[in-house]
Amino acid sequence: MLSEDSGSTRIKGKAKADKDVKRNLLVVAVVVAVLAVMVWAGLANYRRRAAEQAKAKQIQAVLSQSPTKGTDSPEPVFTNPLANKQAPEFKLSDTNGKKVSLSSYKGKAVVIDFWATWCGPCKVEIPWLVKLRGQYAGQGLEILGVSEDDLDLDDPAALLKEKREIAEGAAKLGIDYPVLYDDSNVAKPYGGIDNLPTTFYVDRTGKVVGSTVGLVDRDEIEANIKKALAGGDTTKGQS
Amino acid sequence: MACAAVAALTMAAGAQKLPWQNDPAPADKNQLVHFLYPEQIQVAAGQDRVVELHFKVNDGLHINSHAPREKSLIPTQLMVIEPPGLNIGPVNFPAGTDYTLAAAPNDKLSVYTGEFVVQAHVKATSGDHLIQGALRYQACDTNSCYPPRKVPVTIDVVAK
Repeated sequence: MLSEDSGSTRIKGKAKADKDVKRNLLVVAVVVAVLAVMVWAGLANYRRRAAEQAKAKQIQAVLSQSPTKGTDSPEPVFTNPLANKQAPEFKLSDTNGKKVSLSSYKGKAVVIDFWATWCGPCKVEIPWLVKLRGQYAGQGLEILGVSEDDLDLDDPAALLKEKREIAEGAAKLGIDYPVLYDDSNVAKPYGGIDNLPTTFYVDRTGKVVGSTVGLVDRDEIEANIKKALAGGDTTKGQS
Repeated sequence: MACAAVAALTMAAGAQKLPWQNDPAPADKNQLVHFLYPEQIQVAAGQDRVVELHFKVNDGLHINSHAPREKSLIPTQLMVIEPPGLNIGPVNFPAGTDYTLAAAPNDKLSVYTGEFVVQAHVKATSGDHLIQGALRYQACDTNSCYPPRKVPVTIDVVAK
């Protein structure tokens, strides 16, 4: 026969066991929840990275290189990756230290010319751009020269020297439009510029309506400028 | 022949990245200039020896010579690390040949095309040594230019 005390002990023991089970279940539930969140975050991160990689591959794929007959130089076969797309936004410093953003030129046609001080063909093309800007500025044309010269971002003294040399090079060429330092790899969203000059023509709505790689003749540049001026406003730029 | 002191960086060759390895290692197919030979040389220990390094520029391209006519142009340079027991003396670059862009007939450039040879003076103590370096160049074709690149140069030196 069990005493009252031993009955009470048994009831207390059962209550304790129930409590332990509940606590264990709670711990298991929390662990499962944490694991589920981690798996979900991992999957989301994987999907995002896969999407980014696919997009990067797509951009790189259009700038493919194929050898030209009789030469082993990589002749670029350029398909404008941004054709009829919005020109990627950027905000860069110009040679006067002023921040210049592409979006601030909305309503104007913009020529974005990627160049470098060491690029001979760029130096042939730039005087034409200067003249064409003078000719079409009244119709709403602006030119932005994005320098692809190396910038040593880890060495302030070297960076200052490099920026000064770019500014001097631009002045020597008579560039009177904004020259921007590409210190944040703006070339990348523009397809990863590997040949200079590479030029994009952006219409008044910010859409890329033309592009050229390498030195092209002046007439082709002017035709692209007219297209950019006409884009988004068919009453203008038809001269 | 242009003569220049080699950019000999007397760094301890260890796990540390070499100066020309800062860029993502370009695949050879992306190189516009190739190091042809030698891969290995034998020298008399303690004696100065001139080593000829043979390079080839891809057809249809030119690179600036070691002494371009304009300050803004990027010269071709040899960068090496001197391993312990090996000394690299003056490096002789060939003179460039004249080149003119059709669109700029008045601007004469000094360039290398096709094969060219760079001479380096090497002196080593007895034993095996490894020269590791790179040729830095900036190439163009008739209408466009490519950013500067570095082609690796690796030579085994056996000094007896």
